[in-house]
Amino acid sequence: MLLTRRTIAGLLLATTLLTTLPAMAGETIGPNGEKATPASALSLTDADKAKLKEGSHTAALLWHTSSDFVTAVTAGATDTFKELGIEVVATTDAGFDAARQKSDVETVLAKQPSVILALPLDPVTSAEAFRPAIASGTKLVLLSNQPKDFAAGQDYVAIVTDDLFQMGKQAADALAAALGGQGKVAWIFHDAAYYVTNQRDNAFKETIQAQHPGMTIVAEQGITDPARAEEIASALLLQHPNLDGIYVTWAEPAEGVLSALRAAGNSTTKVVTLDLSEPVALDMVQDGNVAAIVADEAYGLGVAMATAGAYGLLGKEAPPFIVAPALTVTKANVAEAWQASLHRDAPASVLEAQ
Amino acid sequence: MTSALRGIDPSRYVVHVGFLLIFALFAVVLKDDGFLTSTNLLNIAQQTAPVTVMAVGMVFVFTAGEIDLSIGSVVAISALIAATVMREYAWPLAVVAGLGTGIGIGLLNGALVAYARLPSFLVTLATMGLLAGVARWLTNLQSVPITQNLFNNLFGAGRLAGIPSLVFWTVAVVGIGHFIHRETRFGAHVHATGDNARAARAIGIRIEQVRLAVLVISATTAALAGLLYAGRLHGARYTLGETDLLTVIAAVIVGGTHLNGGIGTVTGALIGSLLMGMLNNGLILMGLSVSEQMMVRGLIILAAVALTLREPNR
Repeated sequence: MLLTRRTIAGLLLATTLLTTLPAMAGETIGPNGEKATPASALSLTDADKAKLKEGSHTAALLWHTSSDFVTAVTAGATDTFKELGIEVVATTDAGFDAARQKSDVETVLAKQPSVILALPLDPVTSAEAFRPAIASGTKLVLLSNQPKDFAAGQDYVAIVTDDLFQMGKQAADALAAALGGQGKVAWIFHDAAYYVTNQRDNAFKETIQAQHPGMTIVAEQGITDPARAEEIASALLLQHPNLDGIYVTWAEPAEGVLSALRAAGNSTTKVVTLDLSEPVALDMVQDGNVAAIVADEAYGLGVAMATAGAYGLLGKEAPPFIVAPALTVTKANVAEAWQASLHRDAPASVLEAQ
Repeated sequence: MTSALRGIDPSRYVVHVGFLLIFALFAVVLKDDGFLTSTNLLNIAQQTAPVTVMAVGMVFVFTAGEIDLSIGSVVAISALIAATVMREYAWPLAVVAGLGTGIGIGLLNGALVAYARLPSFLVTLATMGLLAGVARWLTNLQSVPITQNLFNNLFGAGRLAGIPSLVFWTVAVVGIGHFIHRETRFGAHVHATGDNARAARAIGIRIEQVRLAVLVISATTAALAGLLYAGRLHGARYTLGETDLLTVIAAVIVGGTHLNGGIGTVTGALIGSLLMGMLNNGLILMGLSVSEQMMVRGLIILAAVALTLREPNR
């Protein structure tokens, strides 16, 4: 219940994936070593669209949680489906519960959707959850995670994901830029078996170690409950009062870290984190501790998922592993980046303070 | 006839009526959306099975005037232990290990409440946290797949004469629970302990034993729920059961069991659990957004609780 936030978005206990996937190669690669295809490479012709509109297809969106991220992915998918004449007939939130996700799959199948877009919670237990959908002939497009023994083109159309490695790497590069390539850094990572956060966190660490020799990670601290970020950061600052920079696994705990820095009267330690959040962005545009935020194109992920679903309905071969790019957000580009990521204006408070 | 009717307390049947009303509403509104298909109705029954099983245990706990907050963590631990044992050994041993874990945890909770005289709320709050940590540590956050198909069929995914095995488990646990709760001397002692512990002790009921027993029953049903989840998902994961506690409590209370003890009904808890499952199912099929589903579900539960538990002239 504690994991209610967007970043854990991709969520997965990647017994198989953690060992085979991305980060080590320095780029994001698919669960079976597939090369990443950029989301922008997907396209539908006018003839494709006309054919889809005639098909009276329906879609169901089976999410793992509710969050800003999921809202933006849903908006991207819904807008694209609407353009293609595909009706969204059901939306669910499994609350990070693999058993509930299985129930959600069973429930929506009563409506016989033509396409299901979903984030499978866990490779092991999700395999069983999604099998009835495949058996019923529904086209499956997956976000970020692959159920065990599922094959692209056969069991599912495609996996669409953030460029996870790039997100962590760009956070490391942004912190290095803010600190002039020199300094002592704390690494606050998500201490759970969640594919998305694990990949991003590790990419940050690897990039610092491999590409920024002037920077040293002097403290590593795991976090499971974002609500405890402030006390964890306070203890960290007590033990390491001369920290130059802090990486925080995602925006919600970063808010707690900012509180701890303010309480300690520290205005010099730089913070980088992932995913957009109004309080974090506000601190950044007001020249506070936050140096940069790295975000993904969540709306674009939704568009890519819906388009891949359309490929499945048309019988067009889709690339098996589709990646949406990462964005480094700074004070200079916050307005455009908010649009690019969430497809809506940045909050008024952020724009006014800029 | 009138006098016979006068003996019936209508408030006891509010949840049954509410259930039928909501069922009828969904049946009409969703008649073209697959709600009434046998597949969907069986889906509801099997999806709610683990919660129903836990709710039966919780009825005993509430009736005795106690509470058990640790059930969600017991689900995860028993499922993980059973799945881990099944990597090396035959499934019956895994079932014994899973259920044994539940009984052990129940004994620990029960001993602390009954003999160390600590409040069950605090004891089970502490063991909830402790056990959640153990569940994470046990397999280092990794999911454990289960490949013994007989186990998966018996405890989750199988069917007999078209009826899912989970439905049989539900019927068995509710049947046994109802009988013990209503018809046995032990059941009467549970009621008496929850109603007025001092009076119960005065008439010779060993209330310590009753308190120990209800917490063992609750943890054992939670362990069984863990096995059912594991069978259904062909694997176990440390987050299993994490979100079930409030659903179980809601099902039990909506069903007419009082938090303060002395009054409880196993069949009411079954209806409460089915009501929760039916709401989840119907609201999804209605095509509502997740936020809308949550709001409507909250309002309906509020209405059900208000009607079930309203105390006149208070």
